[in-house]
Amino acid sequence: MNLTINPIIALLVFPGGLSLLAFGLLYEYVDRKLVARFQNRVGPRWFQPLADFVKLLAKEEIIPAGVQPGLFIVLPVVALAAALTAALYVPMFGLQPAYGFSGDLVVTIYLLSLMTLCIGLAGANTVDRFSLVGATRALTQLFSYEAPFMLAMLGPAIAVGSWQISEINTAVQTGWWNMLVQPFGFVVALVGLMGKLELPPFDAPEAETEIVAGALTEYSGRGFGLFRIGRDIELVIGLTLIASFYMGGLASPIDFLWKTLVLLLVTAALQSLFARLRIDQTVGMWWRTGTIVVLIQLLVIIIGRWFAPYVQTLIGG
Amino acid sequence: METKQAPEKFVVAIGPQHPALKEPGHFEFTIDGEVVTNATARLGFVHRGMEKGTEDRNYVQDLYLMERVCGICSHVHALAFALGTEKLAGVVAPPRAQAIRELVGELERIHSHLLWLGVAAHEGGFDTLFMYTWRDRETVMELLEMLSGNRVNYSVNVIGGVKIDVSKDQIEALKYGMDFLEERTKHYMKVVTEDETFLGRTRNIGLMTKEQAELLGAVGPTARASGVERDVRVDAPYAGYDMFPTKVICEPAGDLEARFVVRINELFESYRLVRKIVDHLPAGDLTVKVPRRIPEGETISRVEAPRGELFYYLRSNGTDKPDRVKVRTPSLCNWASVLTLAVGHKLADMPMILAGIDPCFSCNDRMVSIKRGNDSQIWSWEDLRKYGIEYYK
Repeated sequence: MNLTINPIIALLVFPGGLSLLAFGLLYEYVDRKLVARFQNRVGPRWFQPLADFVKLLAKEEIIPAGVQPGLFIVLPVVALAAALTAALYVPMFGLQPAYGFSGDLVVTIYLLSLMTLCIGLAGANTVDRFSLVGATRALTQLFSYEAPFMLAMLGPAIAVGSWQISEINTAVQTGWWNMLVQPFGFVVALVGLMGKLELPPFDAPEAETEIVAGALTEYSGRGFGLFRIGRDIELVIGLTLIASFYMGGLASPIDFLWKTLVLLLVTAALQSLFARLRIDQTVGMWWRTGTIVVLIQLLVIIIGRWFAPYVQTLIGG
Repeated sequence: METKQAPEKFVVAIGPQHPALKEPGHFEFTIDGEVVTNATARLGFVHRGMEKGTEDRNYVQDLYLMERVCGICSHVHALAFALGTEKLAGVVAPPRAQAIRELVGELERIHSHLLWLGVAAHEGGFDTLFMYTWRDRETVMELLEMLSGNRVNYSVNVIGGVKIDVSKDQIEALKYGMDFLEERTKHYMKVVTEDETFLGRTRNIGLMTKEQAELLGAVGPTARASGVERDVRVDAPYAGYDMFPTKVICEPAGDLEARFVVRINELFESYRLVRKIVDHLPAGDLTVKVPRRIPEGETISRVEAPRGELFYYLRSNGTDKPDRVKVRTPSLCNWASVLTLAVGHKLADMPMILAGIDPCFSCNDRMVSIKRGNDSQIWSWEDLRKYGIEYYK
């Protein structure tokens, strides 16, 4: 689906800016509600994420002693900005991406990791022990899931032969879903997204029973609110990316809604099924299983593409 | 404790305010990367002066006071105090009262173990199990409320018997509740022993051998999970435990998984006991008459709290007030094992190892005279009073 929108409106209101914030809050609500229902709890009301966000914005932002104040204030803004920018290259709401160029897949994945990097820096910036341990864990986790996640995203890209998200999105709309053709890539991408967003069971970087709130322990008020909404937006973008790459592309807003919500249902179920992994277990899992599985699949795709013309001529001839 | 660590060491202080600890306690873990190299504990944030408080009240009032030592095992505290007082007075509560005491004691064990199962799962980041066990725990809480009218401090004991009786309807409700809980507990046993991610957090973590358990003085399920066959209910039956005996639940492994398995197996044993007691409840009176003034003498009474052996020492001077009451709670005995086991584990394992002994902080805090070099001192009541007035001036 292709719409022509004034660039300013595209950036600030739709499909970027405000509508992204709204969808971030909506998806946070759906996620929280689903996890709560899986855990036999009542769960929040629909406006609870918004109420939390407004409350956090209204609160005083305490800048603790021993931090570099400039960095402390800028980091959440950078994290949110990176998430919002990443949305511009992704087929949000099933529309054509607002911008696109050859190779924007790499830029998007980089922008998505900027959030974790900011959280790590934010933790390392303070002198609090919990923050420091949390920052170490956040960055350790970044190095463990990032490679397999990237490789899982490259699978469809290599199969299509383009590194531009919009082209991949259009190309995968015909034929079988990549989820069936590249099942390992799909699983790794989805679980990688959970690692990226530090959702349980990958919440070791913010394990509340050990290190309070991890890297964000010293954050309060506006900074904390911005980090939170940044993560919500990243959730929406991540789900959109996976849905478009592995679930037959996003041709319309309806496609976008049902495909991402189904994915969200799966992640919510995964969140409530497992006990928290220790950080060494997380790293071990990603490098021993995740990376190898995706690498093998990538090899199969490359070899398949290499031999496809010969096979076709053989059959055709 | 007071000794400052060398500056290059990285100390993570947990508590007295921390999301992992709902009760105040202070722990300092020296870590190297993620590995804990040293652990110290500091207790005493909720000292309430209860032992001293008993000396100002008569035995009946003390019963209510001792019931409030611990919010989770309130019944066993009152029971230990009542048993000790009865021994001093030379009376024995009637069989029906003893059976009801055991019944409430086992219901309390069920509620305590279910609570612990949830807390331990939460410490390991497994909130789903936490929510489910606490939902099911409501069943036994409601049964206790039905029996006694209270959810926390059941206040079942009086000196010389009990103040509640169990009716036919209540027996039916109890049996129905036990059937429901048994089904649920079977499911939890499966989760705890088969779930891969959960086993990754419990198997071979916090390993304590039988020798270590004996050496460190561990008690209760913590010791039994290391293969120490010790249970006051079997070794020195009190209340109704000679009429309705239980058996010692033991596991040789000694790791966190074994502590889960021991407590869950104890739940099954408790369900069996509750059914047996309500089926064979002896008839008769609920109380015997106890003199107001307790004859001079001293005694100990031991009961098996959900967390292990609970020990009371009572000394009477022939008046209606005790001369000295000394309480030794199971949590206090298990701390040494935690601090020893912590070394060498990951920081992420600390909450579960801490929770593994089912610590109760309000049980821990009592007056201690700290020996600093040679200036050890024992304070009299007057000195303490003066010190208190000066301290808060």
